Amino acid sequence: MTEARTKQSVLPVVEIDVGPCINCSLCRRACPTEAINYFSTGHRTHVVDKELCIGCDICVKLCPVDCIHLDTEYTPNLEKLAFAKDKARARAKRVRVVMTARRERAHRAKEKVHA
Amino acid sequence: MPSKLSEHIQQMPSRRNPPYRPAMTIDKEEAAELDKKLGDAANYDIGLLREMVTADPDNIEFRKALVSGIASAEFAGIDAFSRKVCEWQDWDVPRSLIMAMARQTWDEVRHARLATGIIEAHGGKIGEYPDTLAGGAGGGAPASTQNDSNGSRVSHAHGQQAEAAASDEADGDAPQGVAATPQNAMQGPVGMLSAVNVSLEGGALLLFKGTSELGAKIGDELMEHCFDYNWADEVTHTAIGDYFVKQLTEDDPAKEKSALRIHAFSEYGRRRLDEEQTVELKDFFADEMERATAALAGQGHAAQASDDRSSD
Repeated sequence: MTEARTKQSVLPVVEIDVGPCINCSLCRRACPTEAINYFSTGHRTHVVDKELCIGCDICVKLCPVDCIHLDTEYTPNLEKLAFAKDKARARAKRVRVVMTARRERAHRAKEKVHA
Repeated sequence: MPSKLSEHIQQMPSRRNPPYRPAMTIDKEEAAELDKKLGDAANYDIGLLREMVTADPDNIEFRKALVSGIASAEFAGIDAFSRKVCEWQDWDVPRSLIMAMARQTWDEVRHARLATGIIEAHGGKIGEYPDTLAGGAGGGAPASTQNDSNGSRVSHAHGQQAEAAASDEADGDAPQGVAATPQNAMQGPVGMLSAVNVSLEGGALLLFKGTSELGAKIGDELMEHCFDYNWADEVTHTAIGDYFVKQLTEDDPAKEKSALRIHAFSEYGRRRLDEEQTVELKDFFADEMERATAALAGQGHAAQASDDRSSD
């Protein structure tokens, strides 16, 4: 991997402002790398494991109270970042399988009703 | 002692006109009718229906079925939250929490009215499709199914463990004279707010957002706006739950941990533990299952001891 490419692929990680957070867990459940911890924190707080965050921004867009912000100060460990990205790719594949099956079932229902 | 109002409410069965008709109890004739309308009675599943509406936006039956399925939860919400307005008056909770439950009841009424409006706008009526939930919160209706964040119907196979997990809370804020049982813990403010307001309604945010976006996608403005409105209310409900759980568990780490545990079990009850399940939740349950099993074994010993005493 060239240095230029490495720089391009690094996006700012996120952090959660626990003050306004309402613990809805949407971010945790949507995170493709499972970088957001809740049950293991011992407290009712959502905490980002920055080593696992790939900066995909999904949680920022989902948060209903806008309490997730970019942390531009954090410098990621590139090896751990690569591991996290692999994890995200694996999850994307699993989700795609589930979604494709559901879509196919929906199309079968449509055809059956029209038949 | 529980007040007369609480006792009266607890004994009152959940009623609706038209009556609740859980999907799991429909007869062959109605299942055949669903087969005809939806391709298969098993397709009466909110998560799948959203895909079916996307696949066939002109099929009004698919839309009516989707909104009917969601409306079931709204009616159950009216029943559940309104009961809390009465029952929690016996508990040591802030008056503002009782008022918040009254507000939520009214919100659920509005959501049910909006869903009814959408269904009627498409030429249907409430009761045309069966209920995706088991019914209301009272009168012995088995709350054996709930919707997950995608609206899929899954069974509550882990109720016992959830109750065992909740048992810590039972010693906390139960009204005087009410036995501290796990069941009470799940009915109590911290348990109920963690399981329903924070976990369940937090998960429902995705359902409402997705359904509103689906409305926009297929050009159904009524669906788009109504579910966007519901989504906003749901954010408030989650915030209400989180606010009061924080307040009721403040300076009490054991209670806070119990709230966390109830949240975890509530989520677990609505999802299947598979590859998609988070590693964190799996680890959490590895410890919790051991603890819950020990707690249940303890209850077993207690029951045995009680039986032994009665036989003496």
